[in-house]
Amino acid sequence: MKKNIYIFNDGQIRRKDNTVYFETEEGKKFLPIEDINDIFVFGELELNKRFLELTSQKEITIHFFNYYGYYIGSYYPREHLNSGYMTLKQSEHYLDIEKRLAIARAFVRGSGKNIQNVLRYYINRGKDLEDISTQIENLIGKTDNCCDSSELMGIEGNMRDYYYKGFDTIIDNEDFVFNNRSRKPPRNELNALISFGNSLLYTLILSEIYKTHLDPRIGYLHTTNFRRFTLNLDIAEIFKPIIIDRLIFTLIGKKMITKNDFERDMGGILLKERGKKVFIQEFDNRLKTTIRHRKLGREVSYRRLIRLELYKLEKHLIGEEEYKPYISRW
Amino acid sequence: MKEKKITGTLIWYYFICKREVWLIARNLEPDQDDTNITIGRFIQENSYDRDKKEVSLGNIKIDIMRRGDGQLVVGEVKKSSKFQESARMQLLFYLSELKSAGLEAKGVLMFPREKRREEVELTPDTEKQLEQTIKDILRIMYMEVPPKVEKIPFCKNCGYREMCYS
Repeated sequence: MKKNIYIFNDGQIRRKDNTVYFETEEGKKFLPIEDINDIFVFGELELNKRFLELTSQKEITIHFFNYYGYYIGSYYPREHLNSGYMTLKQSEHYLDIEKRLAIARAFVRGSGKNIQNVLRYYINRGKDLEDISTQIENLIGKTDNCCDSSELMGIEGNMRDYYYKGFDTIIDNEDFVFNNRSRKPPRNELNALISFGNSLLYTLILSEIYKTHLDPRIGYLHTTNFRRFTLNLDIAEIFKPIIIDRLIFTLIGKKMITKNDFERDMGGILLKERGKKVFIQEFDNRLKTTIRHRKLGREVSYRRLIRLELYKLEKHLIGEEEYKPYISRW
Repeated sequence: MKEKKITGTLIWYYFICKREVWLIARNLEPDQDDTNITIGRFIQENSYDRDKKEVSLGNIKIDIMRRGDGQLVVGEVKKSSKFQESARMQLLFYLSELKSAGLEAKGVLMFPREKRREEVELTPDTEKQLEQTIKDILRIMYMEVPPKVEKIPFCKNCGYREMCYS
């Protein structure tokens, strides 16, 4: 399986002998190009056009993050899989309000169900989360009566609010209290972890969309404005609870990340380099973790699961099979 | 709407999987990360270096074209001879397209991995067979939704596997 490359060190990345050559003060390294899925850049990196030509040719997406770990943007090579047919279908399902709602509803329900499965896991371990779970259940029921996507976005927001209230009960660590969701900048450690994790997930899904015929600019739950990517945000709603949130609980629970891994900057709280590295290591491990896929009849990684989700969406758009979001078993 | 064009690839897939014909006709390519597809691309890019490669003539794309014994030879490169019938019909299609453009050519199927080749020729019989095939491909292409997934041995190594079974 191809790898994600995460670059933390400052250095130069170049094309050399048709492969990737990375040079830092500490050393030099060749990275076999056929082995690279995508590149996440956190350090200061010098690169040139020749290098971008090579990565474009090999259909590698490069994601850039600034010093604070905020997502800056992606180098998304020229579309290589073009299907006018799929673009039309994607637009048709966006422009038709009922069709758009059907997909947006599926994303919110999927998100809710996966949130519930996370809650259920902790309820079974004696945590008092029944009330929150009931509230989520009610909200899932409300999606049926929604008649526009902003209403659905509202429900999705409410779900998250209730769910986040449970974070303190789940984590049960006074160094990591939730208070309320704060984004730019995150006001406490837990918010910093959530923001960091979510941006990793958004970019990863973007890379996967690139490998399908879907256009990342046309989302259904998040309003499309043709200037930024939204479909990846939609798909992320399904996977946030099972990939990112569970990851955060593990990192804090096993004390792999502690309060010392953060620093205060520009009025916000930021994850320091060691913390980022640990987070990414676990993120990468999680993506490689496999689960048994019933319909495919074999093991698939979480990363692959995201791709399958996109294929399911394609089949829905074609009019072949109604899209049903992936619901985890725990 | 522009009239849909038959291509060699469509003929190739017709004899393997009808659903694939529908998908390919809409430019819905298979998963490019799939190992078999990567291998195929490598063989294509790295075999027969001395010949002129990938000649486009209208809606057909010919792998190899060379002159031998004063005659035009058209070659089609395949990873294996497993789907020989498909490969044969594909090449016949190229020969027939060339013929309607006024070019007489000889066809050779090439299996570099097996170090094997096979000659293919247009005859009244094969031309009729080709005609039937093209008719049915057009029928599939115009279907509103793709033909249903059918589990066949080819699914195991197909780049659409995950799309079909997701």
